[in-house]
Amino acid sequence: MSQSLRPYLQAVRSSLTAALCLSNFASQTTERHNVPEVEARTSPEVLLTPLTVARNENERVLIEPSINSIRISIKIKQADEIEHILVHKFTRFLTQRAESFFILRRKPIKGYDISFLITNFHTEEMLKHKLVDFIIQFMEEVDKEISEMKLFLNARARFVAESFLTPFD
Amino acid sequence: MLLLDYQNVLIQSVLTERFAADASPVSIDQTVSDFDGVTFHISTPETRTQIMVSLQIRCYQDLVRYGAEEVLNREYGPYVVAPEPGYDFSILVDLENLPATPEERGELVNQIALLKRNAMAAPFEQAYQEHYHLKAEASKFTSEEAPQGMREGGAVKVVQYREEEAIYVKASHDRVTVIFSTVFREETDRVFGKVFIQEFVDARRRAIQNAPQVLFRNDPPLELHGVPGVKNTGTGEIGYVTFVLFPRHLTPQRMPDVISHIQTFRDYFHYHIKASKAYIHSRMRRRTADFLQVLRRARPDHEEKERKTASGRSFKAGV
Amino acid sequence: MANQTPTVVMDNGTGFSKLGFAGNDSPSFVFPTAIATKGGAAGGGSGSGRPAVANKPSFLTGGAGPTGHLSMKRGTEDLDFFIGDEAIAAASGPGYGLHYPIRHGQIEDWDHMERFWSNSIFKYLRVEPEDHHFLLTEPPLNPPENRENTAEIFFESFNCAGLYIAVQAVLALAASWTSPKVTDRSLTGTVIDSGDGVTHVIPVAEGYVIGSSIKSIPIAGRDLTYFVQSLLRDRGEPDSSLRTAQEIKEAHCYVCPDIVKEFHKYDMDRSKFLQHVVRQPGGREVAVDVGYERFLAPEIFFNPEIYSSDFLTPLPVVVDGVIQSSPIDVRRGLYKNIVLSGGSTLYKDFGRRLQRDIKSLVDDRIHQSEVRSGGAKSGGLDVQVITHKRQRHGPWFGGSLLGQTPEFRSYCHTKAEYQEYGPSIVRRFALLGGPGGS
Repeated sequence: MSQSLRPYLQAVRSSLTAALCLSNFASQTTERHNVPEVEARTSPEVLLTPLTVARNENERVLIEPSINSIRISIKIKQADEIEHILVHKFTRFLTQRAESFFILRRKPIKGYDISFLITNFHTEEMLKHKLVDFIIQFMEEVDKEISEMKLFLNARARFVAESFLTPFD
Repeated sequence: MLLLDYQNVLIQSVLTERFAADASPVSIDQTVSDFDGVTFHISTPETRTQIMVSLQIRCYQDLVRYGAEEVLNREYGPYVVAPEPGYDFSILVDLENLPATPEERGELVNQIALLKRNAMAAPFEQAYQEHYHLKAEASKFTSEEAPQGMREGGAVKVVQYREEEAIYVKASHDRVTVIFSTVFREETDRVFGKVFIQEFVDARRRAIQNAPQVLFRNDPPLELHGVPGVKNTGTGEIGYVTFVLFPRHLTPQRMPDVISHIQTFRDYFHYHIKASKAYIHSRMRRRTADFLQVLRRARPDHEEKERKTASGRSFKAGV
Repeated sequence: MANQTPTVVMDNGTGFSKLGFAGNDSPSFVFPTAIATKGGAAGGGSGSGRPAVANKPSFLTGGAGPTGHLSMKRGTEDLDFFIGDEAIAAASGPGYGLHYPIRHGQIEDWDHMERFWSNSIFKYLRVEPEDHHFLLTEPPLNPPENRENTAEIFFESFNCAGLYIAVQAVLALAASWTSPKVTDRSLTGTVIDSGDGVTHVIPVAEGYVIGSSIKSIPIAGRDLTYFVQSLLRDRGEPDSSLRTAQEIKEAHCYVCPDIVKEFHKYDMDRSKFLQHVVRQPGGREVAVDVGYERFLAPEIFFNPEIYSSDFLTPLPVVVDGVIQSSPIDVRRGLYKNIVLSGGSTLYKDFGRRLQRDIKSLVDDRIHQSEVRSGGAKSGGLDVQVITHKRQRHGPWFGGSLLGQTPEFRSYCHTKAEYQEYGPSIVRRFALLGGPGGS
């Protein structure tokens, strides 16, 4: 793990743990509704100040807490065109399966690649520190996966090119 | 599968079956596709013992201009018949008049399965001939005093084999240049394609010194200046992949293999882009499964153990 | 037609895949839906089993032919596989494990299926998917997620020009339009689809499957083969291998109207007994006697108790029950158009016997209700079982028929639409060949 990654993930972990303090809260504007306030944005007094943790300009996490829900958006590192397309493919693949991920938002927040929405119902059902673990592990592995896929692509391209040109030899 | 076959598998299997010594004649009527919008029609038009194979290829007019008819007549001489309506070229094989030995029959089957390859081979063969001619001419001069026309080589042959893509072949005294124009309609493919082509360009420098030189650029290469149909859109959406075949690839002995092989470039290239995407998909599926497993750990264990009755049946205990 | 590339029709079944081009009267390729990959036959998908990535790419040592030793090069394991008959041949040698990506009609292993498709398209059909429209089939009651996964593969991996996914039973109905008995091309009817593993009875109304009424019968081609084999064994025939049993089943079996009479006929006429010559490996030829199994094997559809002890409902009763459990306003159409599909419905007179048995069930019921109502007269009910020439590859042929119609392309979803709406677009397809169609 590189020098700056560890403090970055640590900062995300601490901020998340602190922010994941959710309680059941019925909507103040619509009777008998209970909606994630961070998405509804109808009562400003229950929204907390959003927080950005940034490693550099290409990698950052936005945490938007509220009284009963929290939204986490991740911007994944994309050094070049290839990584950009791979990140795009991968996040779309994941959001396509959002159903089974429970906390995955189907659409990322603008400016980010992937977003999670955790509500008080999730924290009631699942262990809070394990949810944080999941987010952190996700961040670690996504970078790894993208760079592995890129390596694969280059290796494959080289192999394919050589195989095509060899019969000319 | 790594390299694509040169022949059409279906034609091969149908004919092998029909040519077998103990096959009873049946009527056939099949339309078969091949890469690049080529359509074959295998039929038994009059009697069951006469099999007609017709070829329809969009650039047939281009190919005829570069001597396709001679090539096809050379390959299929006795079998050629007038083309079936709607098709460009037809051959008719009489099952009662097949070559005697199984080897010869197998040879004929392979020959017919290579119909598309042979049709497409004409411009390449012509370029080879031009190259031999120019080389003989050029050997009379030293390079400095060679006349202008000779250094520039022959005219560019254009084969518009797909709606948006074409093959350009140009012969000169020391090389034959084959240029493929490529268009990618999709962003992912374009990016993947770029990675692949870069490796094609580098491969010669790194590993295979004797391979043809591969060049890539986004505007028409010098060879294509003034060729009708080549537009410099300036947007770089059309790429040009140039293969430079050197004399070592141009010997008459190697000609058939080189021509067969270079024809498959585009389909090979696209096949591997798609195969890589399939691989990346399977990686993503595995990774997604991993993530789900991590997320599942966040759920506390439910006391939903399976229990067994005395008779061995299992049931779920309610929580 | 000249400038339109033919539609690719692919019917991937549990046992066999049928591939070909629309407009043809038979599939170009029929081979097992099997894939042989490097390594053991253990199913993938475990978390740790991620494919290895080549960090140090290969240096080519020699010309790699189409079947070259890819395993030598790391990072290319995913290209090293065979499908269809080649897979089965490869799996009998060392190093390859055989997988069947489709189970019970539904795709289970998407990694293998994606590669299976890739090889089908590029090696066998030899088409550039960007130039062609694709018609795929799915079993009835396929979950919509499976459709979405299929669309994801076809649009994202292969960039196919257009995609249509049709239900096999509906295509089997369309295939029956070639029969002279069919006068109106309706998409209402009962499909009896009997393959190797299982027999389904599927009611279809106006092109939509009535999912709640589908019934499956655990008796199909494989059971017939086992039954023939057991009869051969009982008699102590010189060759009673499964392959011989299958050959006898395919070559000599037929359906009789009445087994008691048929036994009698055999005893009177010795010429009914046949001999089947088996060529054994090694060139020896053995003659196997073929007797009562000629009509007894298909009889297990009508009298399952002679073969099985757990499933005892005869096929005609099941069909009648399926139609009776369907909505009352379509029952007449379902009785009138009972369509056969699949290899195990090919026995001679299978349709005739089925029609007779169902008819007698229906007539009995009508008669009883007439008696109960005290003198009312019923107009009667038409029962018709359709047998046609394309039964064996019914769903594929139906796809071929519909795929060549000029309006087919307008029913497909295109890549652009997929990108606009996302994979959920394939949850709905306009009904091909339905009202307003051809």
